[in-house]
Amino acid sequence: MKRKKIDILSIAGIALMVGFLTIGLTLLPVEAQAKNIKVGIIDCYSGPAAVYGEDALNGFKLALQEINKKGVLGKKIEYSTRDTKFKVDLALNMAKELVLRGDVDLLVGTINSGAALAVSEAVAKKEKVPFIAWISKSENITGKKGHRYVFSTGENTAMAGKSGGVALSQKPYIKYWIAGDDYEYGHAIADAAWRNLKARKPEVELIGKSWWKPGEPDLIPYITSILAAKPDAVIFCTGGRSMTNIMKAIKATGMAEKVPVYVHTATDHAVLKPLGLDAPEGVMGTMDYHFYYPDLSANRRFVKDFEAAYGHPPGFPAFHGYNTANFIAAAYEKAGSVDKEKFIDALEGLKIDSPVGKIEMRACDHQVIMPMFLGVTKLSPERGVAISSDIYTLRGAEVMPSCKEIMEARGQ
Amino acid sequence: MFQDMLRQKSFGASAAIFMALLIAPLIIPKFYTYILAVIFVTALLAMSLNMVVGHGGLFQFHHAAFYGVGAYTAGLILVKTSWPWWIGFIAGPIGAAVTGLVIGLFCIRLNKLYFGMLQISLGSLIWAIAFRWYRLTGGDDGIHGIPMPEFISGLKSSYYFVLILVAVCLILMYLILKSPFGTTLQAIRDNPERCAAVGINVRRHQLMGIVVATFFAGVAGVLFITVEGSIFPDLLFWVLSLEVFIMCLLGGWFTFGGPILGAAMIVSLRTFVGTYTEYWTLILGVILILLIFFLPDGIMGYNYLAKLRRRSKRRSASRAE
Amino acid sequence: METGQSITLAALSSHLLVGLSRAMILFIVTSGLSFVLGVLRVPNVAHGSLYMIGAFAAFSISTALGGGAWGFWLALILAPCVVALVSLIAERSLFCHLYEREHLMLLLFTFALMLILGDLTKMIWGADYRSIMAPPLLQGSVSIFDSPFPKYNLFLIIVGPIVAIGLWLFTSKTKIGKIARAAAVDREMVGAIGINVSWVFAFAFVLGCFLAGLGGALVSPTISVTLGMDHDIIIEAFLIVTIGGLGNMWGAMAGSLIFGITQSFGVLFWPQFAIVFPYAAVVIVLTLKPTGMLKSVW
Repeated sequence: MKRKKIDILSIAGIALMVGFLTIGLTLLPVEAQAKNIKVGIIDCYSGPAAVYGEDALNGFKLALQEINKKGVLGKKIEYSTRDTKFKVDLALNMAKELVLRGDVDLLVGTINSGAALAVSEAVAKKEKVPFIAWISKSENITGKKGHRYVFSTGENTAMAGKSGGVALSQKPYIKYWIAGDDYEYGHAIADAAWRNLKARKPEVELIGKSWWKPGEPDLIPYITSILAAKPDAVIFCTGGRSMTNIMKAIKATGMAEKVPVYVHTATDHAVLKPLGLDAPEGVMGTMDYHFYYPDLSANRRFVKDFEAAYGHPPGFPAFHGYNTANFIAAAYEKAGSVDKEKFIDALEGLKIDSPVGKIEMRACDHQVIMPMFLGVTKLSPERGVAISSDIYTLRGAEVMPSCKEIMEARGQ
Repeated sequence: MFQDMLRQKSFGASAAIFMALLIAPLIIPKFYTYILAVIFVTALLAMSLNMVVGHGGLFQFHHAAFYGVGAYTAGLILVKTSWPWWIGFIAGPIGAAVTGLVIGLFCIRLNKLYFGMLQISLGSLIWAIAFRWYRLTGGDDGIHGIPMPEFISGLKSSYYFVLILVAVCLILMYLILKSPFGTTLQAIRDNPERCAAVGINVRRHQLMGIVVATFFAGVAGVLFITVEGSIFPDLLFWVLSLEVFIMCLLGGWFTFGGPILGAAMIVSLRTFVGTYTEYWTLILGVILILLIFFLPDGIMGYNYLAKLRRRSKRRSASRAE
Repeated sequence: METGQSITLAALSSHLLVGLSRAMILFIVTSGLSFVLGVLRVPNVAHGSLYMIGAFAAFSISTALGGGAWGFWLALILAPCVVALVSLIAERSLFCHLYEREHLMLLLFTFALMLILGDLTKMIWGADYRSIMAPPLLQGSVSIFDSPFPKYNLFLIIVGPIVAIGLWLFTSKTKIGKIARAAAVDREMVGAIGINVSWVFAFAFVLGCFLAGLGGALVSPTISVTLGMDHDIIIEAFLIVTIGGLGNMWGAMAGSLIFGITQSFGVLFWPQFAIVFPYAAVVIVLTLKPTGMLKSVW
């Protein structure tokens, strides 16, 4: 029976929908007039990006344990999380839900740069709620699209690219090949790296480029072609799950022994852990956090507490999450009240202690200034995994674009 | 006669609900106004899909492509050019309909599953282009903060804009489906060979149905920008198409208003259940399975059939007396 | 800026071989999907989820057995069995009651199953990236036309045809295989001659899912095993099945070859848009042969 009639029950159905919403309205607990500071976290807890989202949350929670012992302005910091499943429209829905219904004092998240940019515009700027991006790496978040209500506690593609460029400009290589994931992140890192490299060492030459779809499992043919072109060095611009694939491919073809290779985040523990002792050695990488370096007491303590709580060492998202919590607490202390505008004013220029030393939230663009660590992968049999060795520290100021460049990008 | 009366009744009921929705933003909290607007947009998208799936019988597997094209066309015009806003708003649905026509021409020669598969391929091509063409579309970052004209830039004003436009579209859809064109489309769905035998140009009718449906999908895309102010490649992705398809099946794909209910359910579920657990897709899966077993014709469909059964029992009972 | 790579013999052969090994994985997974589609007439949207579970199960089994050679080979055999068991449970408890329903309802069921399995995978294995190592026998690479090619991928190129031949022998020579093929063409007839059609369907479904699990287990040493693998593979599998001819195993082979090789060569000749090559290939095939390349079972 496939007749179609408009029937009274279509309308009943719509009434049902309205009823559904009303139930949502009345039965779901209204946020009580809590005296605590409320943080809304939107992040990705499903799919391949989930490992980063969880790591950041764990770092955040660890810091909160300490902070809430003393409290901030006599209150505790509480948080609620929402899973965006790496979708931008869900991120927008969830962010608005947290701000409009949940009445949070600030937003934090997410790994998806598109979502971060969307939330930054549609929620943070529009509703005047501070938003701290903690893993997403698009330089546009605090660069071209930055504004008063958005901050970033993670490193971004401009910083990563600049580190790579600075690091490689000190090497004798002239002919380069650039390859990577064919999406915004990959291209942004490539552009930033090349720009900075060329500026410091004008004689370098780009002899070719290759791009593959993000998450592409078969990278061997690309490597073969690159090797055939005989570059002096290769820059790979990969992210997320492609990292494991590219490292496996480098190992399988023995590429690092034939030609110098640089990959941002090659030395990240989350990338090297699943490879175990099967990881390639001799790959250059930059990273903004290692749990084994620098060997400062603050870092050792952070790692020890993290391992005790979660059973494995922290990765860079945890490092960012930890810093974010401490920034939040310190900013509220400085502001003296739970007011969004005062919070922002207090956060600008704020310096706090972190596992890698003092870090600062730069006032002009709301980007955190952090050092970058350049190293080379090397197997560590005692740990059963590869680590970064021969580490050279690039100071934060060396790797950030200048305030002037940022203001120009924003058109101010 | 009986049908006319029924129509009056339900029209009255819809008008009542419409009134309620008009007053709603004045009483309910801001967030619910926003979610209702999201539901309206999604409902329009689902209804437009159902025009070709439920009423047309075509396997439209990548409807989101047209929705996305509508959104991107309008969004790009608003951001990249200085043309007046209404040009963008009109260009969106037209762009979607043109895309629908072109893709439809490719696919219409195929039957059933093949139609759907080819559409997925072509739609994915569009997605890949949007994903890759950073300079134009912002790539996978998307474009955000699209400027809206003053009169619809606020939360309440955008809500009313969406509500009124969706209501108008629904009325149009109803009229189209009731018209000779619409009835022919359903006849083609039920028995294409017979229709061809009586001289109806089956392919042309189906193609026109696709163009109309994709036009409305484009409208939904434009309304999406009004509510969210962003465009991004997810809007063109096949997963969204599958979700919209599920909304139609959930609500009852051979009733008129079923997809609205399906859309409302899924948006409400993922928003409200999502605040409690990250495993809301598991819950959605379980609900779907329960529905398949107990309400196989979708929620509306069940009501519809039950009511029909009761009505026919009553009629035969009264005749027996 | 220059793009693209120099087209040398080394590059060509390397790309061809990688395309082939990728195609073999696609074939194994798609043959299962095609088989289910042919016999049950339903596109199993959860097929990708079973592939993913196969990969994760292989990881767990090989890790539990301490990695190494034994770990890998046993995982390769046991992981698909685990997947088959999961599918059997789903089929006997829920799916089999729906066989009389509308096809769209069956599709909806498999979609629901995909959602559930996806979240269950997350609950059981968590969000970390996993990786397993190829067995020592298959590690390292051989040099083919002057370019390194992993031994494991060679192994895949050999396994693919073996599975194909095995499947073909099974469906054409064994009694149950023949019954399944008959049910694909005319289920009423099969029921009429006294065979329990429901059990035939169960068998077909479980076999199809076993193949998905096998594909997942085989692919795990070459990529990172993550959540989201289900979404990636399912769209490719569907497209391949469509261009190959519904329910036709050799069609699945042909489709997989086209897919794998166009993707590989696309990279070589036009890297900017290599991402669209397989889709373009599908468009071309369907335009020329609307019902797929080989005869469909329907």
